[in-house]
Amino acid sequence: MLGGYISDLEAGDVFEPVEYELTAFMVREYAHGVEENWEGYHAPAVNGRQIRPPTMVHVDKMRILEKNCRKEKRVSGDKGPAARVHYEYFARHHGPAYVGETLIVSGRITDRYIKRGRDYLDYYLEVKTLDGRLVTTYTDKTLLAYKPVEEARK
Amino acid sequence: MNKAVSVGSLAVGAEIRGPVKHINPERIEWYDSAMLSAAKNELAQVGSNIHTDDDYARDEGFPGVMADGMMMTNWCSTMLIDHFGMDYIERGELRTKFIKPAYLDIMLHVRGKVLAVDKTENGSLYTLDVWCEDEKGTKLVDGHAKVEVRPAG
Repeated sequence: MLGGYISDLEAGDVFEPVEYELTAFMVREYAHGVEENWEGYHAPAVNGRQIRPPTMVHVDKMRILEKNCRKEKRVSGDKGPAARVHYEYFARHHGPAYVGETLIVSGRITDRYIKRGRDYLDYYLEVKTLDGRLVTTYTDKTLLAYKPVEEARK
Repeated sequence: MNKAVSVGSLAVGAEIRGPVKHINPERIEWYDSAMLSAAKNELAQVGSNIHTDDDYARDEGFPGVMADGMMMTNWCSTMLIDHFGMDYIERGELRTKFIKPAYLDIMLHVRGKVLAVDKTENGSLYTLDVWCEDEKGTKLVDGHAKVEVRPAG
């Protein structure tokens, strides 16, 4: 269910897309935060343009959750009922995202299931430019809580 | 800017190395605050979470704070951009699984190994094991990467 906590999401939920302009500040801050020194992330050094680290698709996941899970806004600092634990990241890169471009992030929940007592959520996200060029496709697996489901209910 | 190093010498079985990083509170704060700043498009400071707050991490069932998995994913990505340049950005993929927590004071090593090099219509497809291990060789992050390398044109 959209509109609540991240732990309310269910298989089949389709996110309302997020649209934003990629800024030099976003890219530099992120690259700096992970000590990524490749100059293409810090300056217009790739054929005169600056590009973002492809791992920033994970920030897009935060953005789309912020918009679609209004009771829990990690970017704004609001916690949900339990801390989630990121288990798997898988990004396919189709092309660079350049500073100054408008990016559109869309996606859905592909699965939710219990495995070895833990509650898992699977995501699929796509990032495209405003003119429809595919930048990144992304799947993600997250535990909704580290504690096993039965223990968390006690 | 293109390839930082030539991949021509990377045959099947070749090992590549990425950054070596000490896991400490400052690095965790750098990442978490930068991620939030990038999301908000303004400078932001991370608050309490399982990566920054020992008490909260213990309440959630962990022995203490740990690195955010995306820090390791990014360091794997650094290794790939260093070896494959724009080919990685344009025709690459990276999968990382966070199989064990990376707690404070670990010295983390980012590694890769070429599993296959296959000819494609336009170049060569490199398939690699990618992982992060601590100083004792215990794997904390497991994954793989693929990059189609095309001749510079």
